[in-house]
Amino acid sequence: MSAPDVDLVGLGMTAMSLRPGATPLHLAAEASAAALADAQIDGSEIDGLLVGSSQGVRPDRLGVGFAAAGGFADLRLLEHVEIKGATTIAMIQRARHAIVTGEASTVLCVFADAPLVAGKGAGSTYAQSGGNSGVRGLERASGLLGSVPTYALLAQRWLHTTGTDVAALRSVAVTARRWAQGNPDAVNREPLDEAGYDASPMIAEPLRLLDCARPVNGAVAVVLTARPSIGSARLRVRGTGRQHPVRRRRAGAESWFGGGRRAVDDALEQAGMSRSDLDIAELYDPFSIVTLLLLDEYQLTGDAPAGHFVRDGQLGPGGALPTNTGGGQLSGFYLQGMTPLAEAVVQLRGDGGKRQVPNAAVALVGGIGGRLDHHAALVLERAA
Amino acid sequence: MTTATTQDWLLDNTLAPTVDGDSLAPLYEAARRGELALPFCAGCAQPLELDQEICDRCGAPESDWRAVELRGTVHAATLMHRREPGLVRAQSPYPLVDIELDSGHRLVMTTVQPTDTALLIGTAVSIGFRHLGDVAIPAIDTTEDQ
Repeated sequence: MSAPDVDLVGLGMTAMSLRPGATPLHLAAEASAAALADAQIDGSEIDGLLVGSSQGVRPDRLGVGFAAAGGFADLRLLEHVEIKGATTIAMIQRARHAIVTGEASTVLCVFADAPLVAGKGAGSTYAQSGGNSGVRGLERASGLLGSVPTYALLAQRWLHTTGTDVAALRSVAVTARRWAQGNPDAVNREPLDEAGYDASPMIAEPLRLLDCARPVNGAVAVVLTARPSIGSARLRVRGTGRQHPVRRRRAGAESWFGGGRRAVDDALEQAGMSRSDLDIAELYDPFSIVTLLLLDEYQLTGDAPAGHFVRDGQLGPGGALPTNTGGGQLSGFYLQGMTPLAEAVVQLRGDGGKRQVPNAAVALVGGIGGRLDHHAALVLERAA
Repeated sequence: MTTATTQDWLLDNTLAPTVDGDSLAPLYEAARRGELALPFCAGCAQPLELDQEICDRCGAPESDWRAVELRGTVHAATLMHRREPGLVRAQSPYPLVDIELDSGHRLVMTTVQPTDTALLIGTAVSIGFRHLGDVAIPAIDTTEDQ
C-alpha cells in the first residue's frame, strides 16, 4: 500500500501588527481558529498539534501549553518544534510523517511571535537581547548587537567572493516592495523606487533599513490531513528536504555559505520534479542579501549570476521565477518561516488578488535558520 | 589589581562579559595579561571554535587554551551605523571586523582606537585589547598600512 497523500487544507492568519498588543498565546488562538474555519472543521477533528515560536525575545513564548489554552481535545501528537527559521517546514515534515505513519490524522501547525513590546523599537529589542556570557557575550562586547551586523559581514563577504554589484541588494528590496503593493497583509506597501531605497538609513554596511525584515506581532496556522473529506482548497505536500551544514569558523574557509542546495534537491526529488517545474519561489528573506545568496545557493537562476537575475527583474511580476510574491519578510511581514508558507498557499489557491501569479501551481517554500546553518525546503502543489 | 575603571571608546560597561564561570574565562584571563588565548584540540592541535567541545578532526574531547600570535587578516568587515542608545557610546559609525587569525581561529572584533573607516577584506592586522569595565577584549590594534 502506498503512503497517503498529505494535503494542506487550512490557512489562518492574524492581522500583522506593527504595534505591541496581544500575547503570542492570543495570536496563536486567533490564527488557529481561522485555520480551522478555513478547513471547515472544528477543533475536535484535530488530533495533532505542533507549535512553534521564536527564541528568547519574550518569556511568554508559545509552548505546548497551547493544547489546553487553545481549547483542543485529547491529542495523539503534541510537540514544540524549534529549529530556528526552518521551524515551519520542520513542522510540515513532522505533521506529514505522523499522518503517513498513522500516528495522527489531522494536524494543526501554528507559529506565533510578538517581538514588538511597548516602549521599544524592534531594533532595540533585538540589540538589547543576547546576554553577557559565552561566545555571544564576547561578540556583544565587541559591538555586534542584534542580528543585522552579522548579516552585514556575511553580505560583504558574499558580495566580495562572488563579485556581485552591491546594487543587487537594492533590486531585491525594490522588487519585494513591488510585490507587497498588491498584498493587503503587507506592512510596507508604499511605492519604493531606487532613490527611496538610497534614502533609507544605513544600519550596517551594506545593509540599509530597507534591506532588513519588518518584525510584526502575529500568528499563522495551517491544517494538514490525508482525510479526503476535509477542506475544499487542497494543496499537496509533494516533497521536503533539509540540510544542516555543520560549518566551522576557521581561517581559510567560508562559514556562511556553501551548503543548503541539498535541501532543495531532496525536496524536488521526492516530488519527482526539477527546478524548471517551479512556478514561484517563496524564500526566507530576513535581509535582502539572503534572497540573493539563496538564489545562488539553491541554483534557481539557471546560468545567470544571481545579481544579474535580480537586476533583470526575474524575481518580479512576469519574471522567470516570481519570488517572494507577497513582499516577503522585507516588505510583507516577518513571521519567520510562516511568511513564505502563507504566501505560497495564497498563490497556489489563486487568492493573490493584484499580486496573483497567473497559473501558479507549484511553489518552492524555503526556510533558513541561524547564520544560514539550517536550510529547509518544501515543494507544494495545487491538488488537481 | 585594576585601578579606576576606564571607559571604552565604543560601548557602555554594562556590556562587559561575565568572566567568572564563563566558558570563555581562559580567554579573558589571558587577555588581562595582554595575551590572546584560544582553544586547540588536545589530541591533534587543530584550532577549535570557542564553544567547541569535541574535535571534528580526531574526536578528542579535550581542549587546550594557548596564547597565539597577535596577527590575522580581514575575512569581512562592516561599519555599524546603528548605535543602540544606552549601549553604544560612540558618536559615529564603528567598525566590526571578522578576523582570520594566523592561529587558524576566527574572531569578530572592533578596533582599539576609534575609527570610522571600513577595512578591506584581506588586510593584515595585528591584535591588541580594549577594556570594557575591567575585562580586556581583543580588538584590532593596527593594520599593515599604518
